[in-house]
Amino acid sequence: MKSKRKESNLEVVRSVYTSKIISSHRDLVALVFYGTEQSKNPRNSFKYVYVYHDLDEPGAKRVQEVDALRGEKGARLAAETMGSGETSLGDALWCCANLYSDIKLRLSHKRLMIFTCRDEPHRGDSAKDRQARTKASDLKETGVIIDLMHLMKPGGFDVAPFFRDIVSQPEDESELGLHLEPCDKLEDLQKRVRAKEQKKRAMARLNLCLGEGINVAVGIYATAVTARKPAAIRLYRETNEPVRSKTRTFHMQTGSLLLPSEIKKAQTYGKKQIVMERDEVDSIKKFQDPGLYLIGFKPMEKLKTHHHIRPAVFLYPEEGEVKGSACLFSALLMKCSERNVFALCRCVSRRNYPPRFVALVPQREEVDEGKVQFTPPGFNVIYLPYADDLRTLDPPQCPSASQIQVDKMKEIVSKLRFKYRSEAFENPVIQQHYRNLEALALDMMAPEDTEDLIMPKVDQINHRLGPLAEEFKDLVYPAGYNPESKSVAKRKTGVAEKKPKAEVPEDELRAHVQNGTLGKLTVPVLKEACKQFGVRTTGTKKQELIDALTTRLAA
Amino acid sequence: MAGTKSALVLCMDVGFSMSNSAPGEEPPFELAKKVIQKFVQRQVFAENKDELALVLFGTDSTKNPLDRDGQYQNITVHRHLMIPDFELLEEIENQVHPESQQADWMDALVVCMDLLQTETKGKKFDRLNVALLTDLSTQANQDHLDVIIENLKQAGITLQFFLPFPAEDDEEGGGDSDRRGPGHPGTGKGLSREQKESLDLVKHVMLSLDEEDGLDQVYTFRDAIEQLCMFKRIERRPMAWPCQLTIGSCLSIRIVGYKAVTEERLKKMWVTVDAQSNQKEDVKRETVYCLDDDNETEVKKDDTIQGFRYGSDIVPFSKVDQDQMKYKHDGKCFAVLGFTKQNLVRRHQFMGSQVVKMFAPKDDEHAGVALSALIRALDELQMVAIVRYAYDRRSNPQVGAAFPCVKQDYECLMYVQLPFMEDLRQFTFPSLENNKKLSPSDTQLSAVDSLIDSMMLVQKDDDDADQKDIFKVHHIPNPAFQRHFQCLHHRAVNPGTPLPPMEPWLKAALERPDVISERCQAPLEEIKRKFPLIEVEKKKKLKTSAQIFGKDAEEPDAKKAKGDEEEDYNLADIAEGSVTSVGSVDPARDFRTLIKLKSLPFGEVCQQLTHRIEQLLSNKNTHYYMKSITCIQAFREQSVKFLVVEEKKEEAAVPSAEDTGDVDDLLDMM
Repeated sequence: MKSKRKESNLEVVRSVYTSKIISSHRDLVALVFYGTEQSKNPRNSFKYVYVYHDLDEPGAKRVQEVDALRGEKGARLAAETMGSGETSLGDALWCCANLYSDIKLRLSHKRLMIFTCRDEPHRGDSAKDRQARTKASDLKETGVIIDLMHLMKPGGFDVAPFFRDIVSQPEDESELGLHLEPCDKLEDLQKRVRAKEQKKRAMARLNLCLGEGINVAVGIYATAVTARKPAAIRLYRETNEPVRSKTRTFHMQTGSLLLPSEIKKAQTYGKKQIVMERDEVDSIKKFQDPGLYLIGFKPMEKLKTHHHIRPAVFLYPEEGEVKGSACLFSALLMKCSERNVFALCRCVSRRNYPPRFVALVPQREEVDEGKVQFTPPGFNVIYLPYADDLRTLDPPQCPSASQIQVDKMKEIVSKLRFKYRSEAFENPVIQQHYRNLEALALDMMAPEDTEDLIMPKVDQINHRLGPLAEEFKDLVYPAGYNPESKSVAKRKTGVAEKKPKAEVPEDELRAHVQNGTLGKLTVPVLKEACKQFGVRTTGTKKQELIDALTTRLAA
Repeated sequence: MAGTKSALVLCMDVGFSMSNSAPGEEPPFELAKKVIQKFVQRQVFAENKDELALVLFGTDSTKNPLDRDGQYQNITVHRHLMIPDFELLEEIENQVHPESQQADWMDALVVCMDLLQTETKGKKFDRLNVALLTDLSTQANQDHLDVIIENLKQAGITLQFFLPFPAEDDEEGGGDSDRRGPGHPGTGKGLSREQKESLDLVKHVMLSLDEEDGLDQVYTFRDAIEQLCMFKRIERRPMAWPCQLTIGSCLSIRIVGYKAVTEERLKKMWVTVDAQSNQKEDVKRETVYCLDDDNETEVKKDDTIQGFRYGSDIVPFSKVDQDQMKYKHDGKCFAVLGFTKQNLVRRHQFMGSQVVKMFAPKDDEHAGVALSALIRALDELQMVAIVRYAYDRRSNPQVGAAFPCVKQDYECLMYVQLPFMEDLRQFTFPSLENNKKLSPSDTQLSAVDSLIDSMMLVQKDDDDADQKDIFKVHHIPNPAFQRHFQCLHHRAVNPGTPLPPMEPWLKAALERPDVISERCQAPLEEIKRKFPLIEVEKKKKLKTSAQIFGKDAEEPDAKKAKGDEEEDYNLADIAEGSVTSVGSVDPARDFRTLIKLKSLPFGEVCQQLTHRIEQLLSNKNTHYYMKSITCIQAFREQSVKFLVVEEKKEEAAVPSAEDTGDVDDLLDMM
């Protein structure tokens, strides 16, 4: 990435750095200035090109170094270290080509962004223009995508005369019709995105078996996965170097490490310990080999909204595994979609995983005006619940609302209509975490503010509703009814004074053990009993306490 | 229903008539025993608080609290009311035999009622039940019939009868007899006079307890066995989550949420035990922290702090600081952010692992009306509420959708979590339809059409009111649990024998229904013809020891060993660094070098390598496993050479090569 230094350019560069650090810190980034007085590049073979940062994984130091160049003080520092000199974009591009070729790693994609506010950098020097064009096409040939991030300048920035030949043109529709992302606009770069970038990678490659010998190869992709805060890394307090954790299993008496063959697995039911080999435990879970097996088809209305147990995954054919998969897959997709049916399949997603039933819901491709895909073609895999997963509830008998009451609520609903977009809500927990981290890494005084997008905009809602809220309440609530009051009162009574320590006499305990009725006692009582008999327990779960007591007292 | 607790007396006839059977038929005694075994098994694994007692009648001896003046003879209380366990199962297996007396089943019933009344004193049970298993061959004393019925009613004790024959033999229609199958006992053989009289008595008792459905509680042994083959589904007491639904700050409605759908897990986890003693106390797991240096210096947990990656840096960020700076909120909440069209909330973007149903509180009619207005408004407008949901102060807030649900007998909101921007992965995939090479032809499409026709699981009758779904997934018990309990039960009762095959009914429940399989035969053949599918040759993924050690691994060859010495051996390596011990960076290379240099005795170098391998194996990480495999490869290759040399010297060979068993263990671990 190169830049003509300018305050707003630096701001964007900083934003690119901080975004990259969170979205994909393994990406290598370099910062190159051109048109400088001083030169600094690998073999110092180019004049007026200053490699401020070599291609490397970015970190806090780099952000601080960019910050150092900002503001009045920064401008002075920049003038001292780099100065300003002749411009040769060709040399700068060449230098960048060298930076790329010096990297031993295989890079999956290379991108070069030119930040400038001059549409004629060489002021009409055609030799330099030509050299720049040659170098640009050399770079593009090695797979580098060149983007222009131009800033506004008085009179407008004219891309056409010079830069049109420099930047990469959006590719023609490739054979498979894959659209590349459109070039990010400068505004997009300035917008800070604090989310980890995920590579498209199949979670599993399986066969979708329609019948004997009819196997369609498919890949399973996770398209929505609950993002969590990145995991903490343990550091040695003295040196802040990362430590590795090792978990080992050893014998309490002999102290020797236990090999997998020296341990077994056990569960206790009905006061009896049942022991199995480790591979038996695995084999119990095995029903079939991994794969999807078609059971049949059902109309879409048979897919119930409330039959939801985990996020869906996405299915797309793998032509590279079984040739012809894409064609049959495509035919299934078209027909299921046309007839508004889903395919019911039995699914074993991995080795030794018990089967689950899934609904394959067809999803046709959708593209926007710019022919950019926003919905990919394939099947969404909806996991269906078993009988065990549905809980029996006892719904209360309540009177239904009258049509007048319903209509009033309809008015309220209409007032608060909005167009839901799934990407509109950021997770405030993760956003806060990243801002905290940034503040610590960059020695900031305080973290940037996080806007909690899932907080109701109460004032706005109240304003929009106007008198409607009161009108509705008059229709449904009697005078003096306060929906908030009762639970408050309850909470007060809930805080009763602490009960005295509960102890159960020994013979009573033994009787409980005998009858297998220890479960009747509460956890604090059981804990107390454990203490009483000197039983050491590892867990705090009720069952663990019961098991521990039972083994002690039955002995 | 979960959370309720019942007390049950199993009352089984073991008298001599129970052993009578027509040739080729199982005696009623055996069937009745199976019923109680299956029942107790289910109870043991369900691990609820239900208590169970077992009363036998027709026993040679007499042991019951009512045994006085020659009354209530030949009735034995085998087990008093308590939570059932494996001991009871073993007792049933080994101690319950056919005996040679007969006893009055009405007397036995009285003993059971007495037992229930005395042994449930001071305890709270939601249900008291007596299950009688008998062939009704004894004359029953009807003297106190009215008193008994009155007592049953008063104590709220329910009755169930399990008989060798159906209660309503004459009414049995064609449809029912199919299900019961041939050779159903009792249908072929006429009932005795006592049995007929007793059966009338049973009907009288049952109908006086429940006029309408009393006879539904009279089962045959066979039906009961069939119904009990399934282990109980996991039930949990629904936990109420009281909260207020808020729309702005002026409008709130009291609600109570219950988890309605969630992926249920087994309540118990496997515990690791020592293979010899079967004691979990003998096994200790421990996590240690060590520096990433050659000696893997261990450091105490207290001497570590936590940090987070920030690009190429790791920023120390202590737990205390993290807690102080983290996102905090006001706790429990169900606040409407706005309303939107249902079709904008895509089914495949549902997140989380549950559906929560929101009702009005039981005692609050006004909340019920207010909530009903919202539910119906949303339902009529085909809209949903987008809400902020927080379970409590400690849990992270979510964004989700509340769908209206209007059912015949209740109304509720159904809450499902929706994604955050960070959760979404917007992948693009090549277009399928716009690709001429891939698009299916019209004949191909019509082949798929007829496949779908033949495989519809929902049958539409001509009068379209009736739709029959022949494969309801939510009626299938989770096969993983069924299999789990089947194996546990088998191991508990038959220790030392291999695990049983899967139950046939379970296997069948997971398969394509037979009707469909038959119907789709021809369309599938058509698909096969119309869509050529060619598997692309790929290398095998599973590794065998032969692949790791090369094809000659099985028979080490002296010649090969000699040839190897020349290759992958670089003098420069030796010259460059002075290798004095097997390091951790490239232990295999160090090992080879040391063997070559002969600066240390062979045994010692081997020991150093073994030590490194052990170190590597203590890390749960594929990279380290792979490294240890290269070490073992080197170990093996050098040991083979060593053996060859030693043999040449005609000295005793030192057995040093690892046997393949360990390698297999190693591969298992990956």
